[in-house]
Amino acid sequence: MKVKTYCYQCVAGPDLLEVEVEDGVATQVTPNFDAAGIHPGGGRVCVKAYGLVQKLYNPNRVRSPMKRTNPRKGRNEDPGFVPISWDEALDIVATKLKEIRAKGLLDESGYPRVAASFGGGGTPQSYMGTFPAFLSAWGPVDMGFGSGQGVKCVHSEHLYGEFWHRAFTVSPDTPLCEYVISCGANTEASGGVVGVWRHAEARVRGMKRVQVEPHLSVTGACSAEWVPIRPKTDAAFLYALLNVLLFEHPRERLDVEFLYKHTSSPYLVGPNGYFLRDPQTKQPLIAPALEGTFRMPAVEIGPDAEVLAQGELEGRTAFTAFVEHMRPYTPEWAEGVCDVPARTMRRIGREYLEHARVGATIVIDGKTLPLRPVAVVLGKTVNNGWGGYECCWARTMLAALVGALEVPGGTLGTTIRLNRPLGDRHASVKPGPDGFMDYPLNPTDRERWRAQPNIRNAYKTLVPLAADGPWSQALGPTHFSWMFLGETPPGLPRVTYPELWFVYRTNPAISFWDTPQVAERMAQFPFVVAMAYTRDETNHFADILLPDQVDLESLQLIRVGGSKFIEQFWRHEGYALRQPAVAPAVDARDFTDIATELARRTGLLEAYNAAINRGAAGVPLKGKSWDFSLDTTKAHTREEIWDAVCRAASADLTDGRETDGLEWWKKHGLRVRPFPQSLWYLFPTLVEKGLRFELPYQERLLRVGRELARRLHEHGIRWWDAQLAEYQALPAWKEFPKLWEAEVVREGGRAEDYPFWLLTSRSMQYAWGGNVGVQLMREVAANVSGHGGVIVNAKRAAELGIAEGDTVEIATPRARVRARAVLRQGIRPDTLLLVAQFDHWATPFAKDFGVPSLNRLVPMSMDLTDATGSGADVVRVSLRKAA
Amino acid sequence: MTRWVMVADLRRCVGCQTCTAACKHANATPPGVQWRRVLDMEVGEYPEVKRVFVPVGCMHCADPPCMHVCPSTATRKRADGIVTIDYDLCIGCAYCAVACPYQARYKTDEARFAYGEPIASEAKRFDPGRLGVATKCTFCADRVDAGLAKGLKPGVDPEATPACVNSCIAQALHFGDIEDPQSNVSQLLAENHWFRMHEELGTDPGFYYLWDRKEAAA
Amino acid sequence: MSFGPNPWLQQHWDWRAACNFMFGGAGAGLVIAAALLEDSRAAIALGAGLALVGAGLACVWAEIGRKLRALHVFFNPFTSWMTRESFAAVVLFALGIAALATGAPLLRIAAAAAAAAFVFCQGMILFAAKGIPAWRRAEVVPLIVATGLAEGASAALIADPGPGVLALAAGALIARALAWARYRGALADRRAAAVLEPAGRALMQLGTVVALALLALSWAVPVAVWGVAAAAVAAGWRFKFVLIARAAFNQGFAIPIVPVRGARGEGGRP
Repeated sequence: MKVKTYCYQCVAGPDLLEVEVEDGVATQVTPNFDAAGIHPGGGRVCVKAYGLVQKLYNPNRVRSPMKRTNPRKGRNEDPGFVPISWDEALDIVATKLKEIRAKGLLDESGYPRVAASFGGGGTPQSYMGTFPAFLSAWGPVDMGFGSGQGVKCVHSEHLYGEFWHRAFTVSPDTPLCEYVISCGANTEASGGVVGVWRHAEARVRGMKRVQVEPHLSVTGACSAEWVPIRPKTDAAFLYALLNVLLFEHPRERLDVEFLYKHTSSPYLVGPNGYFLRDPQTKQPLIAPALEGTFRMPAVEIGPDAEVLAQGELEGRTAFTAFVEHMRPYTPEWAEGVCDVPARTMRRIGREYLEHARVGATIVIDGKTLPLRPVAVVLGKTVNNGWGGYECCWARTMLAALVGALEVPGGTLGTTIRLNRPLGDRHASVKPGPDGFMDYPLNPTDRERWRAQPNIRNAYKTLVPLAADGPWSQALGPTHFSWMFLGETPPGLPRVTYPELWFVYRTNPAISFWDTPQVAERMAQFPFVVAMAYTRDETNHFADILLPDQVDLESLQLIRVGGSKFIEQFWRHEGYALRQPAVAPAVDARDFTDIATELARRTGLLEAYNAAINRGAAGVPLKGKSWDFSLDTTKAHTREEIWDAVCRAASADLTDGRETDGLEWWKKHGLRVRPFPQSLWYLFPTLVEKGLRFELPYQERLLRVGRELARRLHEHGIRWWDAQLAEYQALPAWKEFPKLWEAEVVREGGRAEDYPFWLLTSRSMQYAWGGNVGVQLMREVAANVSGHGGVIVNAKRAAELGIAEGDTVEIATPRARVRARAVLRQGIRPDTLLLVAQFDHWATPFAKDFGVPSLNRLVPMSMDLTDATGSGADVVRVSLRKAA
Repeated sequence: MTRWVMVADLRRCVGCQTCTAACKHANATPPGVQWRRVLDMEVGEYPEVKRVFVPVGCMHCADPPCMHVCPSTATRKRADGIVTIDYDLCIGCAYCAVACPYQARYKTDEARFAYGEPIASEAKRFDPGRLGVATKCTFCADRVDAGLAKGLKPGVDPEATPACVNSCIAQALHFGDIEDPQSNVSQLLAENHWFRMHEELGTDPGFYYLWDRKEAAA
Repeated sequence: MSFGPNPWLQQHWDWRAACNFMFGGAGAGLVIAAALLEDSRAAIALGAGLALVGAGLACVWAEIGRKLRALHVFFNPFTSWMTRESFAAVVLFALGIAALATGAPLLRIAAAAAAAAFVFCQGMILFAAKGIPAWRRAEVVPLIVATGLAEGASAALIADPGPGVLALAAGALIARALAWARYRGALADRRAAAVLEPAGRALMQLGTVVALALLALSWAVPVAVWGVAAAAVAAGWRFKFVLIARAAFNQGFAIPIVPVRGARGEGGRP
């Protein structure tokens, strides 16, 4: 028997698959070839999904609910978990929740008493059934305790990308693109089946990808060219490309029309750095030409609506300001910074321009659109922490200069998470100030700025760009939640421990930074409820373990297709069902049943059911001509709930014509309708709404930054001043690598004693998967270099007397780890690389790997936190052969 | 005549090991036994270095050294080129394993499972007949045969195609009949430059590696 | 453990397989030498030779995965040198036991011929193993035959240091040295050559120079034949153990050209 289901263990999903079941035993996973024409990766399935069978039958699973019997918590304390019944477990949790509710949802500092942490990229949402409905019924929950969000994501891209072109994630339009500059974007490891499939097609078609990164990743391997760049200098590289385009090629080679009509390039910038505005309408004045200086009656308005100048004012165009700003960043200058030959950057700039084909058009869905088959993509460590803003801005400007932003072949945003409505990038394009798209910045004006944070990481107080959507909590400075538990900086209410913390499909005690400190904090949490697959380093500190049914045991319908994370933009959209392939292998419960039962026992059933009816399970149950709403007074079985959701989904896709329920979906697994390719591109929507891209000049951010500075200073907050300096209208290069050297000194070391950059790189076999306990993954991942130790440049290793397989010690002034040396040619001599994140000490199977993690060595540091609240996955270390 | 061959497009392969995992599922091989796997190779020295992912396994040679040395005649070659092992004849001397220049053969003397004791899926598919004998990639001959019996085309219809090919997320692996000039593999070999591994050993392997389009390198 | 792409030491044949070459070669050499001995001494050499061959085969039996199917080894006389070795062993034992039982010199000569065939098959077994560059050279065959003969003939000196065996031993020791030199000259596998080098040096110094010196000495001091046997056998066995179990690096994986990924002109030969 074959059961159709999906895998969404990583953000690059879903993969649609079939599970072979023999006599009630799941035996193998195969692609769902029925979906070959719908799924843009030919219906194929990622390697991680092949681990699902072992994941199901793993003998190390938590086999029933457990409660802690040892009240002392600590890494070296045995929790003394003992099995209990589901009834007892749910009762304990519900009693605790009711106690909290009786005291009030917020504590004395104004923070939610209940907190919840989920794994990366929203993947747990495809497994947690109706738990979001429970959380919605509950009220305020602190979801800002990071498990990787902000430190392991492309944070600057999330925030700035969404600000500039509704690009929470960015991708080349790979099916049409011909030239990609990739600064460390590890698409072949983290782009999922669709990314791998499309890039393989593109390569064979002749697309050239230049991979710029310190170590030759899987993606670098599959690229036409590898440029080994010094870590954290990508902004200099990108600035040099901008310089080449602006100063070494005739202006008409750029897309001048695009710049003039569809960006803020012709806006006039006044003497104080703010736009010159019409004295009456207060709208920005537009110059008659792209470049130059113009005089006219105007007003210049600064932060807090202050009038800085008025009368006959002289302004230069934003584009002129940009050109002048870029003048010093020559390839020769950049060569000294990033250790890439100037001639290489010149050539790449020229190739980019040649491939951009400015002026070309293509007809898609009957519409004639510009064709600009060039793109620039950024990887994780390029894209978070200091320098992230500069890289994102330079990347987006490279696209804008040739009109390759949000057009066929170019640089595309593929999903939104901060704007609304969440499911539709185009509908989120609403007119905002000054002819740009609206963006829900957290307010910085005197009246509305929030001195009192709503959650512990203070994103509303500190990070205007984090916005205020359902994902914003996780996009604030999530390490602050952990750091401030130790000491809250002046000006914020004392950061408190949440009285109850839900943890699901995440393991911050491994996946965050300074993991020993995170674990120490966790040990202080008074009550932790962990949905537990196996014992792990985070649920080691839990009070209650609830084994939820895993991928092949449980039931859920999710949205698929349309345009989603990374390369997941489809020509279809619809829904897919995950369904039990077999009976549960242990005494686990479906998350939907757990959520329903918690709602019932805490007296929240009506609100919970109402949330499901509103769409908390992914589809509103009431539509134009259909209503499958649940009776809010009753507790429903998971089948009842998902049957209603399935019917609503059927109706949604067919405009109410079909109302097939769960049985139909179990048989078919998938239902879609066409999603026009033209919807991959935002540019036509901006044109249609008469809006411009907010590039190159960041007047709004400049103003917001100045206002934020005033608000913070008014409240005595001075510790965010370094971050406030990031709010520049035209970001300048700063000596980013020096920041990490300074951190060494702060930790009590000498910079020259820690000459290596330690980086990490995603592993396709493990990224996001929560599958370190799966033997098959360990076995197949071992075929990919680096999974067994630290990658060191072979020649450099020889100089240090280190041979293949030797045990080496990697140290910061504060911490040290040991690893086996893996000698490779494809890495800079000043760089070390630890693939993925292991270092497990409690997870069965994984705790025997003996492979360390960068996470133990990377500090959580205010100084290394950028203005968006993120840091980069990098640390300066020493390396020596262990005795 | 028919000769089934595998074509691996090295331009496409990303070394993800999905084929490795899919093969392990399809053939229920024990831990450590990988009839299909992908190598992670480096060629050159920093900074002039290339990293290449190379799928390997039994090459189903037309002149297989493993077959010649086999004392029990357990290893044979079918008329369609697939090199087979009869687990009931094999004495497990491993002579074939040292004769194979592609390191494609495995011998497992004791039952091995992912977590020590067999889990349900392993118990279901455990075959004691595979202990103490040589095993290797079969080109999923059972699937090929069953597919052909149903009138399907191996290499085109998933049901008749080796699991590794079905699973490949980069369309790097292809399977088909090299004797049929119209087949997918014949077309790929005609349009592209290719090589076979260790060609100098004269085994006439049935596994081709594509490395570039033809017109470009002219 | 992950294997490749560079050659690694083959994991399939261990000390048990090596013992077949060590014991079997020396045993066959003894049986051959026995043909040159007078009746009373011949039985000792013949018996010891058969016992050694038998011990070697027992070691192989201990290594195979399906011990109860051992008789399947006879199924492929058409192409498998392992089958042929097995047939040679059967004939060798039949003739050898008959020779022991009857004492007939002709049967001893016939047994010696079977032993020669046996040790030749052993050489061919290695030659046919295409997966191991250090084995698949034609030069390995005379080396295996010569060392078997050198070991056996030297050992036979203990039974009877007569002129025939002395001449045989001396000739075999020199032939072995020449075979090693020829093999080493042909060996392209540098890693295997490096591992084999110390054993090869011992083959020349202990197994040839010292053995021949002791052989000369034995004219004056007969007990020196013990030294000849020890030196010749120790050097030969060590060499064969290293050849089978320590220097048997497999072919590994290699690509003659790297793929062109995306752009033109970036691929090409490494």
